[in-house]
Amino acid sequence: MKAISQQGKRRTFHLRENAQLYLIMLPVLLHILIFSYVPMYGIIIAFQDYYPGKPFFSLTETNWVGFKHFIDFFNGPYFGRLIRNTFLLSFYFLLFGFWVPILFSLLMNELRHRVYKKFVQTASYLPHFISNVVVAGMVLSFINVDGIVNVIIKMFGGTPIALNTEPAYFPAIYTITSIWKSFGWSSILYLAAMSSVDPHLYEAAKMDGANRFKQMLHISLPSIRPTIFILLIFAIGNLLSANSEFILLIYNPMVYETADVIGTYLYRDGLLGGNFSMGTAVGLFISIINFTLLYIANTLSRKYSDYALW
Amino acid sequence: MAQVRRNPNRIREGSVVVDMILYAIAFVICLITLYPFYFVIIMSISSPQEVAAMNVFWFPKGFNLSSYELIVKDTKMWWAYSNTLIYVGAGTILNCLMAVLGAYPLTVRKLKGRKWVVAFLLIPMYFGGGLIPSYLLVNKLGLYNTMFAIIIPGMVSIWNIILVRTFFTTIPDGLKESAFIDGASHLQLLFKIIIPISKPILAVIAIYSIVGIWNSWFDSLVYLPNEKLHPLQMYLYRVVVQQSVDLKMLSLEDTKNAVANMLSNIQLKYAIIVFTTLPVIFTYPFFQKHFIKGALLGSLKE
Repeated sequence: MKAISQQGKRRTFHLRENAQLYLIMLPVLLHILIFSYVPMYGIIIAFQDYYPGKPFFSLTETNWVGFKHFIDFFNGPYFGRLIRNTFLLSFYFLLFGFWVPILFSLLMNELRHRVYKKFVQTASYLPHFISNVVVAGMVLSFINVDGIVNVIIKMFGGTPIALNTEPAYFPAIYTITSIWKSFGWSSILYLAAMSSVDPHLYEAAKMDGANRFKQMLHISLPSIRPTIFILLIFAIGNLLSANSEFILLIYNPMVYETADVIGTYLYRDGLLGGNFSMGTAVGLFISIINFTLLYIANTLSRKYSDYALW
Repeated sequence: MAQVRRNPNRIREGSVVVDMILYAIAFVICLITLYPFYFVIIMSISSPQEVAAMNVFWFPKGFNLSSYELIVKDTKMWWAYSNTLIYVGAGTILNCLMAVLGAYPLTVRKLKGRKWVVAFLLIPMYFGGGLIPSYLLVNKLGLYNTMFAIIIPGMVSIWNIILVRTFFTTIPDGLKESAFIDGASHLQLLFKIIIPISKPILAVIAIYSIVGIWNSWFDSLVYLPNEKLHPLQMYLYRVVVQQSVDLKMLSLEDTKNAVANMLSNIQLKYAIIVFTTLPVIFTYPFFQKHFIKGALLGSLKE
C-alpha cells in the first residue's frame, strides 16, 4: 500500500476498516446471537402451552396462557420444599463456607516457610480441578453403609448410619463437600489482595506494640475487605441457585425431602418429564429472584460500606 | 501472583510457639484435602479382600492391579477416552480462536459501535434463557445427539474474550502502528504479530478450556443419549454414580466366580476414578500457575 491509500484509509475508516473488524468478529457475534439470545427469546414459552413439534418458539400458532405455569408451580405440591431446600443449601454453604477461605488466606499469610506454604496452597487448590463426577463418586463411596465414614464411626464404638438414604444428613454432606472442593481456590483472590500490602505497615504496627494477631486483625484483614464485600454480594445474588449439577450426582429419591432443589427438579420434571413451559417458567422465576437479591445486596453494600459491583 | 513477592514476614517477628501452631493447622488442612485422593489410590491397588474388609487406611495392603486390568480391557472406557480427547481438542482450539477473534476488534478504539458490542457480549453473562430453551434450540438445530452438541454451543466463552482483550490492551500501540505503516490489514496484524506474542494468555485460556471440557458431564447427560458419543465423565457417571449394569458386566466377563466378582466391584470403582483423573493430577502442577494467572487477570476491575 502507498502513502496515498494510507490517507484514503483514514478517511474511509468507518466503511472499510469497520467492516473488516466486524467481519473478524462475525463468528463470535453470530454464535452469541444464536446460542445466548435465541434462548432468551425462548423464554416466551413460559407464557404458552408449548409442546415439542410446534413451530420454533412461534408467537402466532400458540395458546397464550399468561402466568398459568407460574401459578401452577406456586400452588404445586413441591413448591415449599423446593424453595426451602434451594435456599437452605445455598445458605448453609454461605454461613459455614464463606469465612473458610478468608481464615485460610490469613493463615497462609502468616506462614513463613516458603516451600511449605507453597505446598499447602497447591494442595488446597487440587479439589477445584477434580470433576464433580469424581468428587461425587468419592463422596458416595465414603458415606456408604460400609464406607470409610461408617468404619470410623464403628471404630469409636458407634453404630453405622445410613448416611446416603437418611434425609437429615444430606445438607451436611452437601455443605462439607462443597466447602472442601472450593475453599482453597476461593482463597486466591484474598491472598492476592494481601500480597499487595506495604510491608512497612506491619513494621509500623509492630513499633506500636501490635502482636501478630493484632497485625492480622488490623492490617491483613482490612486489606481484603473490598474483596470480601464483592464476593459476599455475589454469594447473596446466588442464594437461589444451589449447585444443582453436583446435587444431581449425589442425591437419590430417598433424600429428595432435603436434597431436591429447583435446578434438579427442573431437570427431572421439566426436561426429562417434557414439561417445557413449566420448566422455563420456573427458571425465569429463579433468575428474577436472584437478580433482585443481587440488586438489594449491592444497594445495601454501596450505602453502608462503599463497596459495590456497579 | 498468589505468593507474597516481598515477604512481609521477614520483618515480622513472632514467637516460635505461634509458628508451630500455625504449621500444625496448615498440616491438618493439607491432610483433609489430600487424604481422600490418597485413600482412593491405595484402595485401588490393594488386594480386593482387604479393600472389601475396609482394612486399608494408610498404606496399600497386598498389592494388586487386577482392577486396572479389567478397566483397560473395557472397550467402552477407551471409546469414552477417545471421545473426550476429541471434545477437548476441538473445543480448546475453537475456544482460543473465538476468544482472539472476539477480543481483537474490541481493542480498536476507533471501532464504531464498540460500546454496543460490549453490551451485547456482557448481557448473556448475567442473564440467560435457561436449560430448557437452550435444549429446544440445540434440538431444533439438529445438533441433538451429535458430537456437535458438545462442541458448538460451548465454543464461545465471553469470559475468555474479556481475558484476551485485557491482555491485548497491554500490547504497545507502536507495534500495531508500525504494522499498519507496512501495509498490514487487521487480519494480518492479528495473525502475524498479535497472536504470536499472546502465547501466555492463550496458554491460560487453553488450560481453562482443557480442564473445563475434561471435567464436564452435564451437557452430555442432556444432549447425548447415544452411549457411543459419551465422554469419560459420562462413563464415570454411569459406572460410579448410577452403578448401572456396566460395572457388573465388566467384572462378570473376566472373573468367573461370584465372590471374586463382588470383591472386585468395590475396588473397580476406585480404580476407574483413579484412571480417569490421572491425567488431571499429573498435569496439575504444570497448569495450576496458569490457572491462578487467569483467576487474577479476570478479577481486575475495568
